[in-house]
Amino acid sequence: MDGRLQGPEGRGTGTGGMRRVGCDEWRSTRRAFGARAAAAMPVPAEALEGLGRLAEGGGLTRRDLLERGAGLVLLSGALATLSPRAVMEAAAAQAAAAPDATILVSLYLDGGNDGLNTLVPLRDPRYPVLRRTLAVAPETTLPLPDTGDFGWHPSVPEIADLYRRGMVAVLPSVDYATPDQSHFNSASFWRTGVVGPTHDRTGWLGRTIDAVGTADNPLQAVSVSGTLDPVLQSRRAAVGTVHDPGAFSFWMHDVWGADAFTRPYREASRGGRGRGLVAAQRAYRNAFDMVDMLRPLRTDREHPLPPVPVAYPDSPLGRKMRNLARMLGAGFGTRIAAVSSGGFDTHDDQAAEHPGLLADLSTTLGAFQADLGARGLAHRVLTLVWSEFGRRPQENGTGTDHGAGGLLLLVGERANGGIRSEWPGLATLDPRANLRVTTEFRTVYASLLEQWLAVEAARILPRIDGGRLPLVRPA
Amino acid sequence: MARVTKAEREIERLLWRAGFGARPGEARRLARRGRPAVVRDLLQPRGPQVAGPPPRTEDGPLDPLNVWSHDMLWWLDRCVRTRHPLAERMTLNWHDHFATSNRKVGDVTLMMAHYRVLRRHALGRVRDLLHALLDDGAMRLWLDLAGSDRRAPNENFARELFELFTLGVNNGYDEDDVRAAARALTGITFDWRARTFGFDDKRHDDGVKRILGRTGRFRPHDVVDLAVDHPAHAPYLCGRLWSYFTPRPCPPATLQRMARAYRAAGTDVRPVLRIILEHPTLYADLDAPDQVKPPVVFVAGALRRLGRGVTTREWGWMLGEMGQEPFYPPSVAGWDQDEAWLTPATVRARFHAVSRLLRDGVPEGGVPATQTPRAAVAAAIRACGNPPVSPQLRRVLDRHARRAVAGRTEPWEVRHYYPERQRVLRHLLLAGPEAQVC
Repeated sequence: MDGRLQGPEGRGTGTGGMRRVGCDEWRSTRRAFGARAAAAMPVPAEALEGLGRLAEGGGLTRRDLLERGAGLVLLSGALATLSPRAVMEAAAAQAAAAPDATILVSLYLDGGNDGLNTLVPLRDPRYPVLRRTLAVAPETTLPLPDTGDFGWHPSVPEIADLYRRGMVAVLPSVDYATPDQSHFNSASFWRTGVVGPTHDRTGWLGRTIDAVGTADNPLQAVSVSGTLDPVLQSRRAAVGTVHDPGAFSFWMHDVWGADAFTRPYREASRGGRGRGLVAAQRAYRNAFDMVDMLRPLRTDREHPLPPVPVAYPDSPLGRKMRNLARMLGAGFGTRIAAVSSGGFDTHDDQAAEHPGLLADLSTTLGAFQADLGARGLAHRVLTLVWSEFGRRPQENGTGTDHGAGGLLLLVGERANGGIRSEWPGLATLDPRANLRVTTEFRTVYASLLEQWLAVEAARILPRIDGGRLPLVRPA
Repeated sequence: MARVTKAEREIERLLWRAGFGARPGEARRLARRGRPAVVRDLLQPRGPQVAGPPPRTEDGPLDPLNVWSHDMLWWLDRCVRTRHPLAERMTLNWHDHFATSNRKVGDVTLMMAHYRVLRRHALGRVRDLLHALLDDGAMRLWLDLAGSDRRAPNENFARELFELFTLGVNNGYDEDDVRAAARALTGITFDWRARTFGFDDKRHDDGVKRILGRTGRFRPHDVVDLAVDHPAHAPYLCGRLWSYFTPRPCPPATLQRMARAYRAAGTDVRPVLRIILEHPTLYADLDAPDQVKPPVVFVAGALRRLGRGVTTREWGWMLGEMGQEPFYPPSVAGWDQDEAWLTPATVRARFHAVSRLLRDGVPEGGVPATQTPRAAVAAAIRACGNPPVSPQLRRVLDRHARRAVAGRTEPWEVRHYYPERQRVLRHLLLAGPEAQVC
């Protein structure tokens, strides 16, 4: 894109030099914790291990329960050390939020990820020709158990592992007919779910939350970002933008404590007349409600970030996904979330930059899945990894230009693992020398809406046809 | 406190809707002058367009061409220092209407030229504005006029010209009109290296086309005239203009009157704006403000109210968080107006913008313990340039003024909590729900 930075998250977004998030205080048990979490099953026992440790410090608080997931605790029946009231309070919060509701995460790789160098077409004779300098050496790729046609880029071992365990549905060439190679247009089509000009600025997931959400839970759809992810732009439903739940608050200079202004602000946010004033008051009420809801997730010296089974990379994406997992675990009734990661527009210097981007993505997805497992959420969450287009098969010398047909991944326990759509091959390209598109992205959306979110696709996607792909495994 | 007259409150609203709010004392002064005279001055501005010293930020003087976000600051500064508020506000309205974004254009020089086109014709004839935009580089890139070839006419500009700029969706034209207009608009070229535009007759489709019921060998500028001459144009455009000044529906008789005035003046918007700015709807229900200030208006208005200028580059990303970056509208349909401006995230951004504005406002120890609650509220209102305060907000302020220092008698408490009370009161006046609307 244009590389402009927006908001606080925009500063210093380099993905190089990925330090692991410091979890030193938990190191002793992290390995054991992680080993079991990696079994990728709903794991009440593991979660309890964490709880037990937390409980040593003087019993559990509502905050702990929110963080770890009250549903798990109730499931386990091991409640001896917990105050019943704390459990019930957190459980009520969880129950109110429909404890088994499915959750869809949109993970957007901004700039157009090079699918050909992510999932490498090992047996395509044209690949090394077109990618004279950038081809990934076959012997370095990571194998897929069910096919020798492809190999994963060596930088994505976690994705390869999730795939091996049947948790990644792979669609190698997803886009739309006669793809437009402008970031602006393509990203807008993917976000709105409408190909071609439209004046509807709602995102397809915003319309989805309009269909399944309510007007007053701002955390039912969460944009983990500085500004609202356009994919979540809704018509009516409340949508939250939270970059860091540990820091979502209001501040004024030299005012000690938010109570000093929260009370008069809340008082000023009631009982007005006039459309505009009523809207302003509602926005403030929702915002202060969000502060209250997120307060248990606040982090400070006394409340450091709780442990995770597998460390997230200390990158913008790693932090966002870690923050997201915490919010999902707290049971706010979140159904949809949107996250993005930039830097994939690799016109030049691709050999140096792309592996780091892939490693960041892969490590993050691995950590996220383990984290969800430990929170007992793995069966409820699917992550859709997408990009506005793939890149031109013919490299430009140091990088690759805008192409078509991008690699799309659906990650999660309930994902229908395997290669799930046709690979067009490199022998015949489209008229602009790009990968031929075998799957329309709207078909993917429609399948997810119906198979995962139980929303009729035609309500969300105008003029959608009847084609669907089996992307979700039955429970 | 001096009583605020109805005339003053009407001027206050007028200055928000037709500009960027009043500067301190301005509403009172203009109320004495009378509304008709004020509307006349707004429509016929004289003298220099901006006043006061040009802005300086951490980066030095503004350098929109070279420093990120300075283009947005440059536009914001025009709004803050304007002496022609309606012309400047109409420029922003046209930017919403023609919604050309540098995200696609990718050339600040062209975008600044685009601004100048909008500004020059802001209070003039729409026909002239449309012809100028057809010749405008940013628009030519934005809607793919540049490079549109008779062998593959690009329909982008033709479609938006009818759909958004002149007629309204499916309002008196069809797909064949769009396709024929796209053919007439072919031939414009762009040299990416030299960054110059041209016209190539060999790329222009000089065949006979039928557009909006007329037949001929139309060329690019003919398409603009055909659209403007269409009977659906005047009511559509006048309705759009109305919507920028009030979210209330336009009475049909008023719309007809505006459309007639618009035609009679040869598409000059001034008679239309006069009808809107003198319409009772604009001044109805002064206690129930129904228009949400767009972020640029909110920020420029707060700076004007405080007598400040643009002094920090931070406004760039802060405007982004509030949802309105000048030069970067989100799509060809512009920004969603009214209630859509206000979400928990954007209202939080507005709150924090004011937190920054009020930094260093009242020093610790700067307010004596003798200050009564009443005096504290009066001081805050004065410090904020005397904004209108509803009885409800007044009660909130009074209550806070009493509560905030209750029982704070120790010297260290007085030193902190009396100034803190003042900070919170000012903040409520500048960022509270009432400050978001007009």
